Amino acid sequence: MRQGSISNRIRTLRFMNGEMSQAELGQRIGLTRQTIAAIEAGKYSPSLEAAFRIAQVFNVPLGEVFQWDVKADPSKAS
Amino acid sequence: MSYREKLAWLSLLAMALAYGPYFVLITRGPLDWEPFPHLHPLGLFALASIVRTVILGAGYLYLRLGAPRGELSPLDERDRAIEHRSLSAAYYVLMAGMILVGCLMPFNSTGWTIVNAAILSIVAAEVVHYTLVVASYRLQASS
Repeated sequence: MRQGSISNRIRTLRFMNGEMSQAELGQRIGLTRQTIAAIEAGKYSPSLEAAFRIAQVFNVPLGEVFQWDVKADPSKAS
Repeated sequence: MSYREKLAWLSLLAMALAYGPYFVLITRGPLDWEPFPHLHPLGLFALASIVRTVILGAGYLYLRLGAPRGELSPLDERDRAIEHRSLSAAYYVLMAGMILVGCLMPFNSTGWTIVNAAILSIVAAEVVHYTLVVASYRLQASS
């Protein structure tokens, strides 16, 4: 299985949407400010539903909010 | 620190202040002047339960009245995930304790020793539960 991690652009998207606060974003999708902060910091992976809700708030496709960063496989290094 | 994390800290504190002294005093046994020595553990347990209830009640009111608006929102998916994970771990602690109390101790212990072992199992499970809740919030905290 290939290793990877989920990254996100929520901070950027919040900035582009009138510096929306974490609390406001959380309120709009039914999450707490602390949960939004944890998602932004990559310390908590949201459910698929919450991810779609976040994308819907910013009116962008899911892939523009969350990305899957694949790590290089050390066993295949030449 | 979130409201939920503060509640978990409060529960840990109440548990330590109520049942810590209880288990220390219970190992010392009844005092000479006590009129009903066989009721010694029962009285101590009642006192510990009252102390815990008072600490929890007062702490809950203090935290609730002092919480900023928006902090008192219902559990969200992350809170539920943390709760689920911590309760799962606590369940195994409680299960191990109950197997010890119910299946092994009756062969070599009696009366209050078994009761106190059961109480200790419950307290240990609760401590694991709230410790994991606090640890999860701490590990995921970012601001």
